[in-house]
Amino acid sequence: MSVQNSLEVVRSSAQVWGSSSAQRSLPTVSKLIDTSTCIGCKACEVACQEWNDLGVIKTEQRGTYQTMPTLDAGFWNLIRFDEREVDGGVKWLMRKDQCMHCAEPGCLEACPAPGAIVQYANGIVDVNQDNCIGCGYCATGCPFEVPKFSAKTGKMAKCTLCVDRVSVGLEPACIKACPTGCLHFGTKDDMVALGNHRVAQLKAQGYEQAALYDPSGVDGTGVVTVLAHGDHPEWYGGLPRDPHVPIGVRFWKNVVRPIGLIAIVGAVVGAFGHYLNFGKKEVKGAADSETNLPQA
Amino acid sequence: MSAAPIRDRAMDEAVVVARDSENVVVGNEIIRHRLSSRLIHWSVAVTFFVCVLSGMPIWTPVFAWMAPLLGGLNVCRWLHPWSGLAFSLASLVMLVAWYSEMELRPDERSWIGPKLFTYMRYQTDDSDVGKYNGGQKIFFFTSALAALGLLVSGVVLWFPLRFSPLVREAAILLHDVTFIMFAVTIVFHIYLGTAAEPGTFGSMTRGTVTKAWARLHHPRWYRELTGAEKK
Repeated sequence: MSVQNSLEVVRSSAQVWGSSSAQRSLPTVSKLIDTSTCIGCKACEVACQEWNDLGVIKTEQRGTYQTMPTLDAGFWNLIRFDEREVDGGVKWLMRKDQCMHCAEPGCLEACPAPGAIVQYANGIVDVNQDNCIGCGYCATGCPFEVPKFSAKTGKMAKCTLCVDRVSVGLEPACIKACPTGCLHFGTKDDMVALGNHRVAQLKAQGYEQAALYDPSGVDGTGVVTVLAHGDHPEWYGGLPRDPHVPIGVRFWKNVVRPIGLIAIVGAVVGAFGHYLNFGKKEVKGAADSETNLPQA
Repeated sequence: MSAAPIRDRAMDEAVVVARDSENVVVGNEIIRHRLSSRLIHWSVAVTFFVCVLSGMPIWTPVFAWMAPLLGGLNVCRWLHPWSGLAFSLASLVMLVAWYSEMELRPDERSWIGPKLFTYMRYQTDDSDVGKYNGGQKIFFFTSALAALGLLVSGVVLWFPLRFSPLVREAAILLHDVTFIMFAVTIVFHIYLGTAAEPGTFGSMTRGTVTKAWARLHHPRWYRELTGAEKK
């Protein structure tokens, strides 16, 4: 969808100057996902498809309850199902997978198209389809492998945290549809507090490694997740242990590119300076010593 | 009456001869690059230029103003890999066609280093320089290597999701670093071929240089072609 309101943009991809236009200060919104009470009913998947008019996705039976193997440009919300043997028993771990709306979005940092990815004052990270060129750099910048590309448009599409609903005071569609109440929506502070409360309950029940997944490597995420087995995030559909903006992307943007720009401009300036100082390499003299052809 | 056929009588003899011969003397001129060589060079140059025009605005928003030249950033994103492919192909043709003329002689290896700066100060003793000097030969091979680096990394950037995140990261860096080094070198290639050394640009358009130009820049080549004595 197009940028909601430029008064709320705090960060914008690939801007030379003036990337922050936010006048409004808004509380950071957050989704809390409690995997310990998720029953894998997929009402949230359906709600997301319906609200965003993404249509029905064709899929195939791959020997799992998981609808799709990964997210898709037309499928922004996926319940991951992982069966695992833990302590002599079998655990069926389900986690709602979607864009994490990082406070330090790697997709935004990697994106070379001006204004294609924006971050609003409330923390939502959104794609401006008008400006996306479908180059795929965002997929390299994201540690959660969220960005996917549309076969129809070639551009990137992902969970918008229902920015259109949130802007008018509604909760996201997935939150509204959840029947067990394992999804919560509110300010980041409130969701972290709620999540920590649930983690304390799980610990009291014997899940000593229960934790709230809110990785600092990306300066915290808009989507925070309660994990009963908090020491093994990778068990929950491959959640990365220490996600951060890839160092290669950082190095490219903040070191290689500026140095390169200076080097190329410097070369042009240097060539000009060379000419001023050394002039031309030629020999002047008698008729047959002309290095240039005589003008006809 | 001239023995040349009627249609060639209004034509410049040097230009006619330059269509299929080089390293020959015609009047006061020496043919340096025949037509096929010039076409190869300009194919590489034009495809390189299209790559630069389409790639720079993607590379940095500082050059976003270049995107409208081609119709917008989306056009750039579509065009760049195709022009890159064309550039790689043209570079390969150039590599194969000119390889034998560019082989470095042992005494030319010293061009990698301070000798390049001495050359830029116009202070080198060029008396033994053949058709191509050491700097030109090194430029030939480093360009070929750079074209290969750009191609390999470019394919990854063209189809990013078919490669692992680590490979993609490496490709972004390789493509960037290679391009930067190439661009700096090209600035000097163009500068030397135009403003700094008069008479050079004509060698790649008309195909010829004056005898004086050859005596100044490539004396051994001049001696081999004219039978003149080394002074």
